[in-house]
Amino acid sequence: MNKILHTAKTIVCDGNEAAAWGACLSRPDMVAVYPITPQSSLVEYLAKFIAEGKMSADLMDVEGEHSVLSVLHGACLAGARTYSATSAQGLAYMFEPYFRTPGLRLPMVVSLVTRDAVSPTCVWGGQQDAMTVKEVGWIHMYCETQQEILDTIPIAYKVAEHPDVMLPVNVNHDGNYLSYGVARVELPDQAVVDSFLGEKNVNWHACLDPERPMAVDPLTGGAGGVGPATFVRYRKGQCSGMQTALQVIEDAHADWGKRTGRHWSPLIEEYRMDDAEVALVTIGSMTGAAKDAVDEARLDGHKVGIVKIKTFRPFPIQRIAKALSKVRAIGVVDRAVNFGWNCGPVFQEVLGALYHLPVRIPAMSFIGGLAGADITVEHFTQAIDRTNRLAAGEMATLPVWLNEND
Amino acid sequence: MGAAFDTIAFKASLCDGCGDCMTTCAEVKQGASRIDIVPGATENAFELAICRQCGDPKCAMVCPSGALAKDGGSGVIGWDSDKCVDCLLCTAGCAFGGIAVDPSVARVAKCDQCGGDPACVKSCPTGALEFRKAGSLYREYGDKEDLFVPGLSGCLGCNSELIMRHAMRKIGRNAVLATPPGCIPGMGSVGYNGKTGTKVPVFHPLLTNTASMLAGIRRYYDKIGRKDIVVMALAGDGGTADCGFHAVSGAAERGEKILYICVDNEGYMNTGMQRSGTTPYGSWTSTTPVGEHMKGKTQDAKNLPMIMAAHKCRYVATASTGYMEDLYDKLDRAIEASFEGFAYLHIYSPCPTGWRIPSNKVIDACRMSVETNFVTLWEYTPATGIRFTRSPDNALPITAYVKMIGKYRHLSQEQLDHIQAKVDEQVALLRIMAAESPPPPPAHRPPAPLSAPAGSDSSQPSLRREISRN
Repeated sequence: MNKILHTAKTIVCDGNEAAAWGACLSRPDMVAVYPITPQSSLVEYLAKFIAEGKMSADLMDVEGEHSVLSVLHGACLAGARTYSATSAQGLAYMFEPYFRTPGLRLPMVVSLVTRDAVSPTCVWGGQQDAMTVKEVGWIHMYCETQQEILDTIPIAYKVAEHPDVMLPVNVNHDGNYLSYGVARVELPDQAVVDSFLGEKNVNWHACLDPERPMAVDPLTGGAGGVGPATFVRYRKGQCSGMQTALQVIEDAHADWGKRTGRHWSPLIEEYRMDDAEVALVTIGSMTGAAKDAVDEARLDGHKVGIVKIKTFRPFPIQRIAKALSKVRAIGVVDRAVNFGWNCGPVFQEVLGALYHLPVRIPAMSFIGGLAGADITVEHFTQAIDRTNRLAAGEMATLPVWLNEND
Repeated sequence: MGAAFDTIAFKASLCDGCGDCMTTCAEVKQGASRIDIVPGATENAFELAICRQCGDPKCAMVCPSGALAKDGGSGVIGWDSDKCVDCLLCTAGCAFGGIAVDPSVARVAKCDQCGGDPACVKSCPTGALEFRKAGSLYREYGDKEDLFVPGLSGCLGCNSELIMRHAMRKIGRNAVLATPPGCIPGMGSVGYNGKTGTKVPVFHPLLTNTASMLAGIRRYYDKIGRKDIVVMALAGDGGTADCGFHAVSGAAERGEKILYICVDNEGYMNTGMQRSGTTPYGSWTSTTPVGEHMKGKTQDAKNLPMIMAAHKCRYVATASTGYMEDLYDKLDRAIEASFEGFAYLHIYSPCPTGWRIPSNKVIDACRMSVETNFVTLWEYTPATGIRFTRSPDNALPITAYVKMIGKYRHLSQEQLDHIQAKVDEQVALLRIMAAESPPPPPAHRPPAPLSAPAGSDSSQPSLRREISRN
């Protein structure tokens, strides 16, 4: 039995408010914001919390997302715990400092309220924004529910600020379905979060402080000498921080579960995979409908399971390969497009993980939920059916667009 | 540090021979004038005879009674009337006409710089006479700690290094310094491969986010009570006026407590002299080249300091390394203002490499840019508005400046006329803004409170209701 410990209050709220509560409970010193659909209500909640004295953070309403992340870079190098949230075009505009954040090893937490990016012009949910920046070096965690959003934000700080990680974390939740969808959410007690996070120390490695003068990020590289080797040392450090994060993410989730009674799967969640012959791979809020579809398929005698990805960066290669090693066919459902491979981005990642196995398992890419479209139980049933046929020897086609004929 | 002294400087090209300086001196000294304006080699040209306060004073060397001696503090050659035996040998010893007989008392008389505030300079209507206090500055700051590594690799003759070293000597170690990509970090201020180039915390922001990063630093230090740190940028014009302008404008609008120094060399000189938004009309740059179909830049420069004044910053000023006293005064005011709000200092700094100026002519070019009004020296505060710190009156024609600069070598008469017209236009606008002194503040009356309309619910609608309505 999961006994809920130390819950201060139960509220009903949407995913954006849950994220704001997660941030509030993590006690950042500095919050910078710029509104963008579907993130806007999240930053309004932050502003409200600060105005009401629930949060003691300084609120910086700046002139655009480029500066949102830039002021937080400065604040973090001065020693602040920082938080922000953005989406789609905001993320695109933020990209220049975003690109720099992991290299500076700044342990920031930024929520991405995922959305399809212009063009075609669209302001609704999809994961094209977050998937497009997957190679930058941020840790990416995707949430399935409002409660998971709230809980993952303190967990994200714990991971980011771990001295062997020191990397920024995006806590992602689906625009529309999670951002505006309302659910029951337990607010943990502040003291629980405080003792979980402990003392912050975000700039022990690089700081801008007259009491510890140093050059932050001097020019590195060049044609020869120590330059390129120094650069490699920094880059390798980022990679090793990412790999270390896999264990730290597991530990942090376990610690959080012990303190709050809520145990979230840290890297991947396996749903009815024990005897599964066919698997779906999902990510984010779509997983709820996928679980329903799997339950129905099971009633019809189909041995189907789900591997849900929570931590997408670093990609849990071994876990995913192991979880999928026994099935005869795999259907990966994406909420974004990989233009270069004509498939979904998660699909391509899964293929890479499968190469670690001695066997070749056929797999197919399904793309749905673009531009705010719902991925329904029927869509998943369709995906399960197609994956079953794949298991039976039918050739794979690339990709299946689930909402094409809605 | 060695000795350096203030001096009265004479710009012959600005002198119209009015004689006001001599009249004033005679009045103040109650006798013959110790400054003499004499006809020069050509018509309407004048030369100056005045004591040079020589470092190796021949007057003192020939004096048999020890009545003349150089003062170690002020550098002035003092004359002791008690010791003087009126032999007049000194008048023969001086080659500059700097010491002469005052017929009214039949004794020698010479300039004593009025104790550091010479009356002749103040009376000069054309700006031909100036009292240069660089010597005092040198004495005051020469012993202060230099905060950069020796041997920054700036181009020969570049004034950026001068600006950097002077500014940081004044500001000291309790500072955080941003040097966005450009010549300033390019010459090694942030350092290479893990080694720093300065003794204060220093960093490369992105070219585009200098003011924002600084704002975040300042806000956090303010939040934790460390309010005495100078949070500052030494930035170039490109990152300030062009791609980083959003950050500068946003920080200024929010009143972030930052000292933002823009060193304007009129282009992206570090990357090979490409044009920027502050590159003046007609300039050759590597992206506005001169050929059959193109004759340099075809647009006028944007006037960034005026734009910043329009942001109602706590302090805005322009400065030139040709006028260090003025620059130093403004630096003081800008530092002070940066603890209260956004302080913006725009320093015009020629690029000898990119502008094609001999390295030994850079300061001359700075001074000429001001004397022709190509650069105007002014400052702004919300309380005082714009105020000239050097009069734009009696400016020389723009040609005097342009001909010193190789990047204008190709200019046609038409282009020159355009530049002159734009300079005149700019100065006219500044004059309008400067002449209109602000009205006295109104008798303070607190604004009426915003009362809620009768009968309405005064509580704010809840956010949740707002959202669900959407």
